[in-house]
Amino acid sequence: MPQPRFDRLSERLLCAGIAPRHVRRYVRELGDHFDDLVLEEQVGGARCELAETRALTRLGNDDNLAEAMLSRATRSLTARFPWAVFGLGPIAMLVLGVVAALGIEVGLLYLISAAADAIGLEPNAATAKWGTLAFTGYNMLAVYAAPLGFAALIYLVGSRQRMPRPWIVTGVSLTCILGGLQNLVFYDTGVRHGGVLVLQSALLSPFPHLTQGAGLFSPFPHVAEGLARAAANLAIAGCFWWLSTRKKSVGRHRAFAHRANIDARTAGT
Amino acid sequence: MTNPSFMNGVPELLILRTLESSEMYGYELVQAIRARTNQTISLGEGVVYSSLHALESEGMLKSRRKLVNGRTRVYYALTRKGEKHLAGLVRHWQHITEAITLAIGGSVHAATAL
Repeated sequence: MPQPRFDRLSERLLCAGIAPRHVRRYVRELGDHFDDLVLEEQVGGARCELAETRALTRLGNDDNLAEAMLSRATRSLTARFPWAVFGLGPIAMLVLGVVAALGIEVGLLYLISAAADAIGLEPNAATAKWGTLAFTGYNMLAVYAAPLGFAALIYLVGSRQRMPRPWIVTGVSLTCILGGLQNLVFYDTGVRHGGVLVLQSALLSPFPHLTQGAGLFSPFPHVAEGLARAAANLAIAGCFWWLSTRKKSVGRHRAFAHRANIDARTAGT
Repeated sequence: MTNPSFMNGVPELLILRTLESSEMYGYELVQAIRARTNQTISLGEGVVYSSLHALESEGMLKSRRKLVNGRTRVYYALTRKGEKHLAGLVRHWQHITEAITLAIGGSVHAATAL
């Protein structure tokens, strides 16, 4: 349940690097405690507004509550190691993502090949065409959608933990740019066991000796295309960022107006 | 009593001692501590949660959600590790209490001798 009364406390704790789940729990328990105190004061004869004021006094002010939490809680990993989350995180996610996509694809190809052998289906131009089409669709999903998904995840982690904007921009940009420079290609030649599956990545380009003769891996050959995809990723991520910031600013404005209303009522008593 | 320098370790001791008998949620715990200490020691009511969370992350307490009268409460209970830690804390505080009692008694005697 949202606790607008503790919005400022939440913001303060999040900005200080306390993990969102700890902040949520703290605020939820404070909210429950506040409700109990209000009830107790009302049973004691206080009217609603007076009961709320007394309950807030008994609970402690934002400074005391924040200080108590900050002195005992551990800061989140993201707050302690932003360079790892926003610098190395995108690279690790992209590598793992593309390796996972590749693994699934290889598994599917083996299964389909085994099934075709079992039913005695001979490869031909038509099966090659449909196979190429289906796996090209899968590859496009893996190389186009996955980086944007990872960028969204980086943005979500950073914004939920109120990380400084440069860190989030770094993480999202790295994901979009490097994500645009990787590619999965599959085509079926129409010959038994004649499919070709290639993983191309700009991350491999600085180390050509590692990829020579590896077959499956190769450096990214079309840098211009990759850069165009990276730019498209950045543009899409930028649009989502703008929309999300706009939505949040409206929400925050409403929350502060609500808080100001509570403060005014409390001051009036 | 709310003086921070005298309160070091006291909230922890009181929380563990109070939860020794039965599991409680935050509000219930604060009321129980107030009743047990004759309201001599008043903990900041909201501040108790940071201590509860810290004790839980140290493995002294465990928590569970429970639906009571239509409201979900987080109940805290002592763990085995918490019981051992409490025993150590009680011994420690008993030593301190004895030492202070002796010291106060000593000063009274000294004042009488003068």
